[in-house]
Amino acid sequence: MAHASAPPPARPLGGLLIVALVEIVGAAALREFLLAEDWRWVLVLLAAFGAVLVALERRPALEARIAEAFARHRRAATLLGIAIALVFPFVLEKSSYALHLCVIAQLYAVLALALNFQLGSANIPNFATGASYGIGAYASALLALNFEVSFWLALPAAAVVATIFGFLLGLPSMRTKDSYLALVTIAFGVVIHQLLNNLEVTGGPNGLVGIPAPELFGHSFASPLAVLGYELPSQANFYYLSAVLVLIAIVFAGRLHDSRVGLAWNALRADELAARCQGINTTWYKVLAFAVDAFLAGFAGTVYAFYVGFISPDNFTFLVSVTIMTMVIAGGMDNILGVIVGAVLLTLLPEKLRAFSDYRILFFGVTVIAFLMIRPQGIFPQRLRRYGG
Amino acid sequence: MAPIVLEGESLTQRFGGLVAMAEVDFHLKRGEILGIIGPNGAGKSTLLNIISGIYVPSSGEVRLEGRRINGVAPHQIVKRGIARTFQSSRLFGDLSVLDNVIIGRHIHTRSGVLDAIFRRRRAEAELAEAAAHAEGLLKAVSRGLYDQRHRAAAELPQADRRRLEIARALASDPKVLLLDEPSSGMDDADTDALMDDIRAVCAARPDLSLMIIEHDMRLVAALPHRVIVLDYGQKLADGPFEEVRLIPRVQEAYLGRRGASHAQG
Repeated sequence: MAHASAPPPARPLGGLLIVALVEIVGAAALREFLLAEDWRWVLVLLAAFGAVLVALERRPALEARIAEAFARHRRAATLLGIAIALVFPFVLEKSSYALHLCVIAQLYAVLALALNFQLGSANIPNFATGASYGIGAYASALLALNFEVSFWLALPAAAVVATIFGFLLGLPSMRTKDSYLALVTIAFGVVIHQLLNNLEVTGGPNGLVGIPAPELFGHSFASPLAVLGYELPSQANFYYLSAVLVLIAIVFAGRLHDSRVGLAWNALRADELAARCQGINTTWYKVLAFAVDAFLAGFAGTVYAFYVGFISPDNFTFLVSVTIMTMVIAGGMDNILGVIVGAVLLTLLPEKLRAFSDYRILFFGVTVIAFLMIRPQGIFPQRLRRYGG
Repeated sequence: MAPIVLEGESLTQRFGGLVAMAEVDFHLKRGEILGIIGPNGAGKSTLLNIISGIYVPSSGEVRLEGRRINGVAPHQIVKRGIARTFQSSRLFGDLSVLDNVIIGRHIHTRSGVLDAIFRRRRAEAELAEAAAHAEGLLKAVSRGLYDQRHRAAAELPQADRRRLEIARALASDPKVLLLDEPSSGMDDADTDALMDDIRAVCAARPDLSLMIIEHDMRLVAALPHRVIVLDYGQKLADGPFEEVRLIPRVQEAYLGRRGASHAQG
């Protein structure tokens, strides 16, 4: 394995300081954004974020320095990140709304990471992630309602069901390419939506009601979470659950990206014919990308169903798939951090722009376009792999 | 006499009404360098695409060490031992030089999705081995390329892109290497360096057989042991370049009838 020229040993503390500063300032900014009520404060925070992006774009050395610090202190960065995620609900002033937004943002982060395997790694335009999300949600809800299967069993079962549907979608899609492939996935999404809407088992347009909250060691997720005498709203249970899910998704995404499979997907994205001529079975790898996407989306769907307790076909429309796709593109294709930031930002933006009432969606679009103009490759673009260095 | 590695028998390729290749026979011996020449549109690339499985010939047969390979998918043909480069270089531009060669090792690695997630150490060790192999290969093909191994492939100058394509193709440890116009877009100095690199590659692998499509007559005169001349999808001649270039039909194909009569004086 290559050992790039040994990095200068000096400033180990400087690196740690950078890591700590970036993570804590990032978390503090997120907290402010979550709790912001005044639209002027929201705009100030967005402008500040934009300024940071401009600085990163103008001074690549700055970005390289931060990236290097994180690469050198990976373990410390991970531990601090987990610690911040654990403590985060305690600084939200017991706001159940802020916690709710966190849960939804984290579920979207999982969905965006799922789609990233396809869109980011392999450049497969899949507009059916929302459908896989729905299949996961319905599969687990039906298991819970009809067979009294517990959440913890329904979770893997629903992921498996979603994966099977992912394969089913992947196989016919392989006969098509590019825009036609996108059309097949759109059609799949519409078919799933229509089925959910019209089948009797799925409750038709009324959906499924009364999905029981999960329990863990006798603690119901519907009741408030008390830690050392400090009581958090019940949403905190799902906050931690979805945080674990995000962690799992990050581990999956990271390991796959740094593996032979990730390389094969990247080869497929760059030049399919050349990839085939390196011995890559492109059909198999595309189907695999569909399956992995559906697996994670199925997970997210299960958590969603048990979180809200009520699901209907309208939770899983074509629009959901488009939103997930926007998150991946705006965040940065094939960059795990970028995709998560994209998901969090795009989940929170429409909520925080409520002050603009009718012009909310317009403003949402303008903000996304502005960020993309500052960083055309996404907020955190894809990086070259490094070996040994 | 070296045994025949690859052979084609009355290969015909039709695209609708167009006959791109008609009844072409060829053979390639172990360790041999075979040049394919002919004017534009003569069917040279068609031949390479048939051998590498991108086209399925309308009739005829391609055999690798006696086993029929037409109709086999391109990724399976790589496994059987045929690697290729492309005329317009088709590198994985947004990946590093090293990653390009590691992807060339694809058929010699095994890890799947589950290995990558649940048996990370094994998957990592396998990839590390592929990376070490790729670095050795880059070093052997060109020191300059090795020094640039962490750059994105798209940033390489033209000559290095060609070298990288050759290194990537060699990574699969092929028995037969097909090069589609390796010197296109190169000046004379680059072409000379490329010829030296190809000679070095062949010297290190005495059993490797090469098929080279080429337009640069300097390269064709110097490198191949034997050449095949194609024109309008048919084989005009087959033999050492010094003999083939004297055949009137070959001169006609290149220079036109009047040019050829001038050339013969």
